[in-house]
Amino acid sequence: MAVKFLSPGSGVSGRGVNGRDRAERRLAVRMAAPSLVLMALVAAVPIGYALWLSLNQYSVRTAGLSRFVGLENYVSALTGPHWWAAFGQTFLFAGLSVSLELVLGTAMALLLNLAFRGRALLRTVVLLPYAVVTVVSAITWETMFQPNLGLVTNVLSMLGLPGGDVVWLGERGYAMAVIVLADIWKTTPFAALIILAGLQVIPAETYEAAELDGASKWQAFIGITLPLLRPAIVLAAIFRTMDALRVFDLPFVLTRGANGTESMSMLAYTQLRENRLVGEGSALSILTFLTVMAVSVVYIRFAGGNIRDVAKEEQ
Amino acid sequence: MDLIRRSSAFQEDTAPLATGTAPGAGNQRRARTAAAVAAAVAVGLLLSGCGGGAAPQGADQPAAADPASADSAAGNLTVCGGKDASGIYKGTTEAFTAANGKVTAKYTEIGATTDEARTQAVQRLEGKSTECDIFLTDVIWTSEFASQGWLLDQTKLVEANKERLIPSTVETTKYEDKYWASPFFTNAGLIYYQKDKVAKPETWQQLYSEAARAPGNSFVYQGKQYEGLTVNFLEMLYSAGGEVLDDKGEVRIDSPESRKVLDFMVKGLKEGSADRAVLTYNEDPARLAYESGNFGYQRNWPHVYRLLNATPLAGTFGVAPLPAWEGGKASGVLGGWNLAISAHSTNKAAAVAFINFATTPDWQKHVAMDFSQAPVNEDAYSDAGVLAKMPFATELLASVKGAKPRPISPVYPQISQAIYKNVYAVLSGTASTEDAVKAMAGEIKAAKASF
Amino acid sequence: MSILTAQRTTTAQAPLRKAPKRRLRGEAKLHPVVWVFVVAVMGFSLIPFYWLVNTSLKTGPSLSKGELFPSQPTIGNYLAVFQNPEFLLALRNSVIIAVVTTTVALVFASFAAYALARLKMRRKALILTLILSVTTFPAIAIAAPIFSIWREIGLYDTLLGLIIPKLTFALPLAIYTLTSFFREIPRELEESAYMDGATPFMAFRKVILPLAVPGLATTAILVFISVWNEFLLAVTLTTSPEARPVPVAIAFFSGTSEFDQPLGTISAASVIITVPLVILVLLCQRRIVSGMTAGAVKG
Repeated sequence: MAVKFLSPGSGVSGRGVNGRDRAERRLAVRMAAPSLVLMALVAAVPIGYALWLSLNQYSVRTAGLSRFVGLENYVSALTGPHWWAAFGQTFLFAGLSVSLELVLGTAMALLLNLAFRGRALLRTVVLLPYAVVTVVSAITWETMFQPNLGLVTNVLSMLGLPGGDVVWLGERGYAMAVIVLADIWKTTPFAALIILAGLQVIPAETYEAAELDGASKWQAFIGITLPLLRPAIVLAAIFRTMDALRVFDLPFVLTRGANGTESMSMLAYTQLRENRLVGEGSALSILTFLTVMAVSVVYIRFAGGNIRDVAKEEQ
Repeated sequence: MDLIRRSSAFQEDTAPLATGTAPGAGNQRRARTAAAVAAAVAVGLLLSGCGGGAAPQGADQPAAADPASADSAAGNLTVCGGKDASGIYKGTTEAFTAANGKVTAKYTEIGATTDEARTQAVQRLEGKSTECDIFLTDVIWTSEFASQGWLLDQTKLVEANKERLIPSTVETTKYEDKYWASPFFTNAGLIYYQKDKVAKPETWQQLYSEAARAPGNSFVYQGKQYEGLTVNFLEMLYSAGGEVLDDKGEVRIDSPESRKVLDFMVKGLKEGSADRAVLTYNEDPARLAYESGNFGYQRNWPHVYRLLNATPLAGTFGVAPLPAWEGGKASGVLGGWNLAISAHSTNKAAAVAFINFATTPDWQKHVAMDFSQAPVNEDAYSDAGVLAKMPFATELLASVKGAKPRPISPVYPQISQAIYKNVYAVLSGTASTEDAVKAMAGEIKAAKASF
Repeated sequence: MSILTAQRTTTAQAPLRKAPKRRLRGEAKLHPVVWVFVVAVMGFSLIPFYWLVNTSLKTGPSLSKGELFPSQPTIGNYLAVFQNPEFLLALRNSVIIAVVTTTVALVFASFAAYALARLKMRRKALILTLILSVTTFPAIAIAAPIFSIWREIGLYDTLLGLIIPKLTFALPLAIYTLTSFFREIPRELEESAYMDGATPFMAFRKVILPLAVPGLATTAILVFISVWNEFLLAVTLTTSPEARPVPVAIAFFSGTSEFDQPLGTISAASVIITVPLVILVLLCQRRIVSGMTAGAVKG
């Protein structure tokens, strides 16, 4: 990846290299412009607006009253207990769900890449959970774990396994487990699909070469497939982590943040929407935003993958 | 300049101290600014545009609804609120349109859940939207909406109708000696019980001890960490003689009564009076659990009556008002929905006419008969037609009349969170009663000190 | 090199018909252990889905029995959903929104991704970071300002008013995925196109895009589903059935009271709305497979 290729057209005579170069840069700008302009118009304005709101406080008792407080909202969020609790819980959730999703997603992608009768069925089936609206999937998991009535609790009791009589969503630890499970169920297909696509660009010859060398399947997987899959896995990891760190629907429906499941987004929601503490809530949104951004940048810089190569190509 | 003038002076007026504008107060202007700036893609410009707040202008009182205006009402009227589950909202707008002849009213669902409906209402009110003339408001929103100057003062209207309304329901529309909405229908908790297994509960103590006698007798209520838990806790606290805020608004929750009630609830969970699963229940899961036939008592709202009658439990259950605390009296917490006129309504006369219609004794009977909601008109409860459809109307009236409002404060959401989070911590065993009561009091004081 | 180009291109444009005739790589060797995995994966995906279907076949009291198999299955919920005119309208809205958004997102994103992956450009790292930042902001803080702006400029409660922000928030995923894909395509193929006198844009259209079909198909599925399921913007930016998409319409399904969740109908509707997704997956399947057979055929 790091190998520098000739720039397009550099071998072609005619106009000077510089002219070509400039034309190429112009084309790049023109091709990127529609997306960038749209994003700037629709996303930058609300983000900038929230940034401004976060530097003020707006009275919840007197209409129209507001005051500029600078960074006070940030200071009180960062020195209070709620932010850090939500921070820790969100990272716990994200760490658990994303790592399991990547492992499962890779396994799923390998299965989907195999050629066997029924593969089309498997591909469709595997994608079904991703198609279920998040709120509905939350309700489904809630009813599955409902004491006495739920599928899981019933089956566990019938089989005499532990957990049948546990009020899953009412206990610390168990509640987090249900939320992680629900997230894995719904979004592993996302990771699997991206990794599958990565798998498909690995040329078959690489395997054949390995087979000739007498490598076992496992060795071939660790030595060849996995490194070549890295860009796809990192890509899946970036987007899954970003989503997981902003998790809202699942804990909101399943526990309302009880039993150690309140996330950063829920905290921002409570302040912003329920309490209408617009300044404080916006500060929490910005903090969430910065946290997620920081994690993404770390991924891109250190986890590798071809997105990093793109980023390094600054010229 | 035009931008600034068009944003009504009203909001700033109520706050002579204003140093800037509320996020909502300036939303419209800001939005327009934003749209203009967006074209230039300059966030920086936007920020500076937001900074310049409008200077406070000469103060005058918020506009008031004029009862006489109803006679000349005409044109279109939009009523906005949450999901119209029982059909009462659409039913009322249609009946009003037919009865009035000059005004055409329609109902717009703006949020699927109560939370969402509030968010969407706030968004419209802050943005001075003229889309909705009337908002359906939960009884706990009154102080918040009124203090922000979003509503029309309905004092004259309520005074005129007061005679025929249940006083406790009128209280839910009051903020700082004025009425900001008219009660539409009310709500109060009831106890459903299995007549074959347990007796009608007279006291909470009796209910809990009977519930603990056999596993099939136990009690289901709403113990999830949410607004419903505040209601369930306050129902007991009020009957035990406790309170959250006193008449002067002082925090009174750090009391022996609070400790007594919390200990009682914890003991109930330990001894099996209530199944631990209640920690995950809001209204619907509680009802579904009770419908399985494995429980003796259920605390829920009146709507459950109709649903229970469609199950094999029909005929086996009784309905009772909430019990009293041993040695005390029965009490409850008032729910229900009010009709508030938006300060930005463009057809206030029609809004007044609609409210007059919705609160007439005749229509209030339909509220009960056609939509199974609790009327705010006391006479409706003794009407033969109503009693036929709602045999527990007498118990319901007792519950409604005995019920008290939740704390009245513009920061009610924060107060409620302080209550349900700490109560939940005690029930789930992660905090002691003592610590939780102290925390509750501290957090409520902090909430009241909000800017 | 041009031979490679030719071969790659033809295989990518994939005469799928050929594939079944050949024994696909690995078909014969599917180990029993692998079958166990296949069954496990299917089970994990299907069990909650089964529960959803199970719930959708129950009404009234049987919802509270917790039966693992519905004793009196009924399609009443499905009929109720289809008899609801607002749901059908919502289905139409969702299809329009998802199809338009996905199509435009693919066009915009493939342009941007090509520029990022292949062309010389200043400040790529900064651009990548900015693109990402669009999706890292908590959605709840974004919905309200867009609502105010949309009301001002008349986009509120329109399909276009939903398509624009959904497109915006779908773009980062699409751009990242496609950039990653384009990078995987060997440079030599474009080089030979340049040798033949192609311009960069022609190289993009004639070489990169055809080769990236599996990536485009994958991206299309991901974008389509995320747009299809998005709720918060949808509920904030619409009020009328004429603009409301499916997830919001489902949320508005009425039980008998504000506290009553009509579980049966919600489940039925949720099952129904996965059907378009299944169709999409089956359609894209051929494309994804074509990418795969490209490797297999060569072997």
